[in-house]
Amino acid sequence: MNLESTRRSAQQEYILQGSIVNDSCEILLHRLRGLCDNGDAAPETFKDHEYVYTIRQPNGQPLTLRVRQSLEKKDYPWHLRYLGQPEIGDKNRATLVRSCIDVACSSNICTFLSEMGFKLDYEYISKGFIFKKGRMKVTVSKIFRLLPPGNVNTDEHVSQSYLVEVSVVAPTGQDALAEEIRSFAEQLKPLVQLEKIDPRRLQ
Amino acid sequence: MGVVSVHQYPIPEGKSGQQVIDHLVKCLETLGATKTGTFCVDCETYYSGPNINPSRVLNIIHNSEHPASCFALLDTGTCLVCDTNFDQLMLTMSGLYHSKKSTKMESKGTRFQLGDFIVKVGSVSIGPSFRGILIEVEYGPCVIPNYCWDLMKEFMGGFMSSPRDPHQYLQGKMNDIFTPIDTIQQYNDHFNSIRKSTAAATSTASTPTHQSSSGRSTPSAGIAQSIPTKQ
Amino acid sequence: MSLSVNVSLETADEYSVQEITYDGQEKYTQPLSMSENLTKLAQRIDFSRVNNYDDTEPEKSDTVAEEKETLQSAVWPWESVRNKLKSALTELCVLLDDMNVAKDKRYLVLDPVSQEPSEFKPLTALVARKKALAASAAIIQNGVEFLKSHQNDATRSRAMDFHSELMTIRQNWRMKKVGNTILGDLSYRSVGSRYPHPGSFEVTKAPTPQPITSPSNVPSPRASSLKVTVASDLEGVSYIHVNNDTLASGDLSIPLPPVAVSSLESSWQQKLENAQNVLFCKELFAQLAREAVQLQLPIPTLVIGNQIIATLFPGVQLSIGLCHTTVPNKKTTEKQQQTPSRNEHKPVLEHSLHQLLREIHYNSLHHPMPHPATATLGISRKMYFAGPEAYDRHTLMEACKSETMLEQIISQSQHVVLRLRTMYMIDTLACEIKDPLIIAHWLCLNSATKSSVKINIVSYGYESQSRTPLVIHVGVKNIKAICRDGRTFHMSYESQELRYLIMSQVSQHQINAIQALSKLMGWKVLSHNVNCGVGPVEMIGTASSIVLASPNGDRMIAVRHGPQSGAQVSISLSPHEQDFYPSTLVKDRKWQNINGGFKEVMWEKIEGKNLVSKIEYLMACLTNF
Repeated sequence: MNLESTRRSAQQEYILQGSIVNDSCEILLHRLRGLCDNGDAAPETFKDHEYVYTIRQPNGQPLTLRVRQSLEKKDYPWHLRYLGQPEIGDKNRATLVRSCIDVACSSNICTFLSEMGFKLDYEYISKGFIFKKGRMKVTVSKIFRLLPPGNVNTDEHVSQSYLVEVSVVAPTGQDALAEEIRSFAEQLKPLVQLEKIDPRRLQ
Repeated sequence: MGVVSVHQYPIPEGKSGQQVIDHLVKCLETLGATKTGTFCVDCETYYSGPNINPSRVLNIIHNSEHPASCFALLDTGTCLVCDTNFDQLMLTMSGLYHSKKSTKMESKGTRFQLGDFIVKVGSVSIGPSFRGILIEVEYGPCVIPNYCWDLMKEFMGGFMSSPRDPHQYLQGKMNDIFTPIDTIQQYNDHFNSIRKSTAAATSTASTPTHQSSSGRSTPSAGIAQSIPTKQ
Repeated sequence: MSLSVNVSLETADEYSVQEITYDGQEKYTQPLSMSENLTKLAQRIDFSRVNNYDDTEPEKSDTVAEEKETLQSAVWPWESVRNKLKSALTELCVLLDDMNVAKDKRYLVLDPVSQEPSEFKPLTALVARKKALAASAAIIQNGVEFLKSHQNDATRSRAMDFHSELMTIRQNWRMKKVGNTILGDLSYRSVGSRYPHPGSFEVTKAPTPQPITSPSNVPSPRASSLKVTVASDLEGVSYIHVNNDTLASGDLSIPLPPVAVSSLESSWQQKLENAQNVLFCKELFAQLAREAVQLQLPIPTLVIGNQIIATLFPGVQLSIGLCHTTVPNKKTTEKQQQTPSRNEHKPVLEHSLHQLLREIHYNSLHHPMPHPATATLGISRKMYFAGPEAYDRHTLMEACKSETMLEQIISQSQHVVLRLRTMYMIDTLACEIKDPLIIAHWLCLNSATKSSVKINIVSYGYESQSRTPLVIHVGVKNIKAICRDGRTFHMSYESQELRYLIMSQVSQHQINAIQALSKLMGWKVLSHNVNCGVGPVEMIGTASSIVLASPNGDRMIAVRHGPQSGAQVSISLSPHEQDFYPSTLVKDRKWQNINGGFKEVMWEKIEGKNLVSKIEYLMACLTNF
């Protein structure tokens, strides 16, 4: 019951995902720069290190927490993120919806989590561009492996394409936002196909 | 943010907590301190579930002086500072770490300002029951405890029997820059010792919840060792 | 009532007279046929009044029913409702029956009522047809003419082509096509404004390019084939009038700059720019008025009509007015220009108001990007750091604090007033005090709320020897002065305080200059006192004094200089007199070498341009070698 009430008060993330091959990425960036806010400035880059921690709950379900650190702005707070189970919904729902909790925290979060009993599952580097359109956040990023382990300046990319995500974090029940995301995704249509992607089905 | 020192104020025999607080407030007002609102430091204790080995105790402390922050202290001594969304995260972890409402402690009271000093007189309670008095003294212009300890000691002598030494936690950090975490650690130590002493004093007469809480807090030996030195 | 007799009525069997001719002959109208009669009667029915149904009922029952109604209505309140419902039911039943009757076609057939067939006259038809043909021919002819002239225009100058002009407008303004209309957007929403005015305009083709045909307006620019229609409240020109005045002027009659008036009739570009400016001014004023109502100042701000009045200093007010003129009334503008307006417009403050609103627009769109990328979007950097960095209450409160636009413009205007007062004060002082010279350098690097001036006090001709510098920082409500010796003075907005300070600095400068001169002349300083305790009390500040001895010590000069009393110079000689006559008291000549009493010099009589040169002259006279 307690958990339920939290879920209700928590924020939700509406998200669509897609990917684009390296060669066309430049065109997509141009398009995004035109569509998004502040097109007068050069697109903002980011390089983040993400650690994924899991723990097994008594009911057998794993609980996953994501920790991110910006490698470009090392003085910024670290970011701890909980993502709930994604809900695909029916055809009428435009985007994937998942509950999320965002916590900005101090840099000892990794020690803290492992002392709490969490285990580091995997880690990667995400590098790319970030755009903003109203309340929407658009990221175009490339995933890198840390090879050899611990090497932050890696160039071991996972694939020949970029991950494109359009998301909005908002309090529960603002389903109009999903439509907003869908219509934005429509405008990127020939370049990139943004869809509701259920990670469970991929496994 | 200056240097903060937290002390427990003994309650003499035959006096109620409210009488002592009234006396302290009167003392401070006679010294010329002005009331600048109220404050509250609350602490909620979470105990790890059976599948976490070794078992842990996690104290979540909020301080009204840092309204945007939430402090999470593990019994290993690690203190995480984060924003208040962490409380929601704790609720999602209810399968792993669970709290008992009856163990929620808080120190609540009036905030006084006297020149560069800020004095907070807080009455400590576990649930509805009164457990003691904590006095927090902050000296604003300095950040190194060693440089201003003597001044603070002398100031504290003006309205309470001044302690001989700083708090045990602070003793190891006398030459470091004081951070908000240091305040929280002091409160945490005091809360733990108050919890222990009440559990010991009322071990026969206390309610079952208190007994279980005292039994639970034994693993937290890492921080519970500090019973503040009072003369 | 019971004796009522049924009366039958029938129409008179006569035809109604249509007209009577002059010879007395009556012309009758033709009787109506059955179908015509029906039509006529049907036309009379007022279908909106359906309650008349009862009228057809016999008179007697009607009145009885009425009586009953009046009787019972007192007894049962729902009587009227029931009656209405009942009559409605009856009517509906009748309607249903009617429809059934009409549908069955057994008893009744509904046929369109035939109208009187129009008389066919071949001649008139021919004329009508001719007319119609002529009209349509004219339309086509017009079209051809129009196309021709259009073609001609297009060949004559490309700029007048509608479509190329549309392209130009499209390049400069946000346009879209909705249905058959071309709409544009004037609003500042795309750059972050939240003003609710739609700010749209419509582009249509200009009806006829008249200006080309009329030879009179030669200097006018080439006529446009584009017509731009803006919302009526955006027409005309407007600007924000800012002035600070010692009294509140009740009515705001603000002259428009003649340039603005003349630009009213020009091209669409100018018209759109004007309209956009009107919109901007409206938003600016609305924002200021909202803030003025909310702002809690010791002396509350007033919003009256199109004017906002705020008090800057006691007796000095800032008034911000929205001026908007749609019809350029030449007469009134001329009249206004003749009377020199007492409330002078401050274009600098108007400009900074524009800047402030644009800054608000900018900030509403330019949020810092989150780092790491998954972090929350749209919260300020400070708020994001507040949690993990454990900001305390005070810091958070500081971070949340932001000055409203009105507060900023008030402090800017306060600074302007204070700066002008300071400037004026320094200038008048420099005129009043000729000796020494007061030279002010206003630094070019300043901000909207802070500027500084460096004041040098020098004696003419002795600039290199002694100079008293003074730096004055003019803030929002107070002035800070830093003297040569590092002392700082904080002063209020009353410039009199600064005046006193400079006057005492002048006084000290004179003494310092004399000291510097003495070094050059080989004289010795016996005492130097900036706060001289003797002599008459000065109205402001304290007098300074210096006592000098000549190189061989036989002459002494004492100078006392007060900020208001001015210089007072005395000398003493040793020996007192050239000749010595021994007396019973003073027997030896050596006693003559003791300095005698000081005698005041008649300072006006001494030659020299200023105090220091006079002192130099005096020193030169007194020096014995």
